[in-house]
Amino acid sequence: MYNSSETKSDRVIEVNDLAKEYRVYDKPEGLWASIRGLFHREKRTIHAVRGVNLSVGRGEFLAMLGPNGAGKTTFLKLLSGIITPTRGSARVMGHVPWDRADDFRRRFALVMGQKNQLWWDLPAAESFRLHQEIYRIEPVRFAQIHDELVDMLGVSRLLGQPVRELSLGERMKLELIAALLHEPEVLFLDEPTIGLDVVAQHTIHEFLRHVQKQRSVTVVLTTHYMKDVAALCERVVVVTEGSILYDGSLEQIVDRFTTHKVVTLDLEHPPAEGEIEKFGFACEVRGPRVSLRIDRTRIADVLPKLLASQQVRDISVEDVPLEEIVAGLFRGAASRQLNNDREQGARLV
Amino acid sequence: MGRYFKIFSTFARACLVRDMTFRANFLLECLTSLGWMSMNLAFYLLIFSFTPEIGRNSGWSREPFFAFVATGLIINSIVQTLFMPSASELTEMVRTGGLDSVLVRPLDAQFLLSMHRFDFSSMANGIVGVALLVWSVSRFSVAPPLIACFLYPVLIVCGVAILYGLIIMLAAATILMGRNQSLYDFWFYITNFSRYPAEIYAGPWGGPLRMVCTFVIPILLVVNVPAGTIARPLSGNAWGMISLTCVVAIISVGVSRIVFQAALARYRSASS
Repeated sequence: MYNSSETKSDRVIEVNDLAKEYRVYDKPEGLWASIRGLFHREKRTIHAVRGVNLSVGRGEFLAMLGPNGAGKTTFLKLLSGIITPTRGSARVMGHVPWDRADDFRRRFALVMGQKNQLWWDLPAAESFRLHQEIYRIEPVRFAQIHDELVDMLGVSRLLGQPVRELSLGERMKLELIAALLHEPEVLFLDEPTIGLDVVAQHTIHEFLRHVQKQRSVTVVLTTHYMKDVAALCERVVVVTEGSILYDGSLEQIVDRFTTHKVVTLDLEHPPAEGEIEKFGFACEVRGPRVSLRIDRTRIADVLPKLLASQQVRDISVEDVPLEEIVAGLFRGAASRQLNNDREQGARLV
Repeated sequence: MGRYFKIFSTFARACLVRDMTFRANFLLECLTSLGWMSMNLAFYLLIFSFTPEIGRNSGWSREPFFAFVATGLIINSIVQTLFMPSASELTEMVRTGGLDSVLVRPLDAQFLLSMHRFDFSSMANGIVGVALLVWSVSRFSVAPPLIACFLYPVLIVCGVAILYGLIIMLAAATILMGRNQSLYDFWFYITNFSRYPAEIYAGPWGGPLRMVCTFVIPILLVVNVPAGTIARPLSGNAWGMISLTCVVAIISVGVSRIVFQAALARYRSASS
């Protein structure tokens, strides 16, 4: 377990063997099947979260990375008390989330990139006023935090505009302000940069980094984007098929899940056929530009030989791109799961 | 309590601002509901041009009957203004997962879900209802006793509470089923029974229907009891119905709360 040295009081989130299963029915195509479905339905169990154990310390910025349907959002919904688990336990700031105690709900915020929490037809200022009442924020403190957040994101001119007239990026900035007005100790972010352009993504990264550092907020972020993770998080939890595949730092993913580096060469002349392959696996040969995959343990031996045998204009040695590593992890986990399912037979219940 | 009232006011204010933003829509809604109500009144006037009383010795002659209609208008207007817009929206919130953002707020979910959206255009009917009530009562041959004037608003609140309990239970069904588009239709069918005096439900079919709509789904108590209290003499039977209405109102709200909390515990949310 990552950060296992932290004391119990430092742990803001503690999750043990948490699982969530859904029973869904398969709806076959066709009219006759639909009529039959009125009387008899074949149900199966979806394992959205499978016995997850996790501990998050105070002030950590943790990213949950996973493909669609991995169980990231379900996990956040469990931690924020929206749904109840099938089994297992969780404590967030000492509270069982699905008890939905007001003391607990006052201390966290949830932002969902694909769902709007502000009043659609009204200016965001009206939603902020409602937040002030719901979270019982003192007027002076409210004004102070409100102004600070609005200045940081530069959205003062948007406050009086109906939310439905705002762009996605503008709306997300206002959603974040609404979520932070009551100074939550824990912030759950569910794909906050989904669909945003590069500039808006960058602004939100900067803002979140600043707020998290300044207020020591514990943040759990779910995302598909490596950019979010690289920009914000020290700790990454890779989730696939409802299970944790990896829990550690971003750098360690590279060490743990790759065995080679990528060497890119700009040669004076295109290499002769078969000449370059003896140094490693040629993943790309385009004229004088060559990319090779070379085993990490051999790199110190291979590079001097490569430079001696070729006229090299430029060279770079890099790790395999993170996206590629993570995509490989996802694919591996998916095929393992498929094999397991085949072995266990159809899980129709 | 004060905090809830403040939040209620904030919601009300925001909805009023929104309604005023779409001014033409607001005016059109007012005109539509006033038009529908005028046609109903004209229809009842037509009936009274053929008969002096609805039902034999029922006491529902023209003016008392218009007091009955006015009571129905007032109660329905309160429900349509305060609760129905939120309940109608709940179906969509459950289907799309919009309910998620309500459940994370440090506030009673039932309060937030049943009173976050208002329809002020429905107040138009209520205002006309009050005017119609004043007009009808002023034309009674015998003025209602003081105790009836005191009980009338209390029973209006009870009527609203009974309807509120039914709405909440239908909303809970929405949460359990994931989709319940027939909520509004079912509501219309049920409340249709409450729009007429209980005395019309007589005979081999009407009698059992009256029993069901009084004791099982107590929809006949909603308008009949407050209207009967203001428009007819307070007999021994009337006192029994008044007591029953008060008890049923409390039970309705209490049971609806239990059902709603149970439904929330089974909420599945929707995919993101």
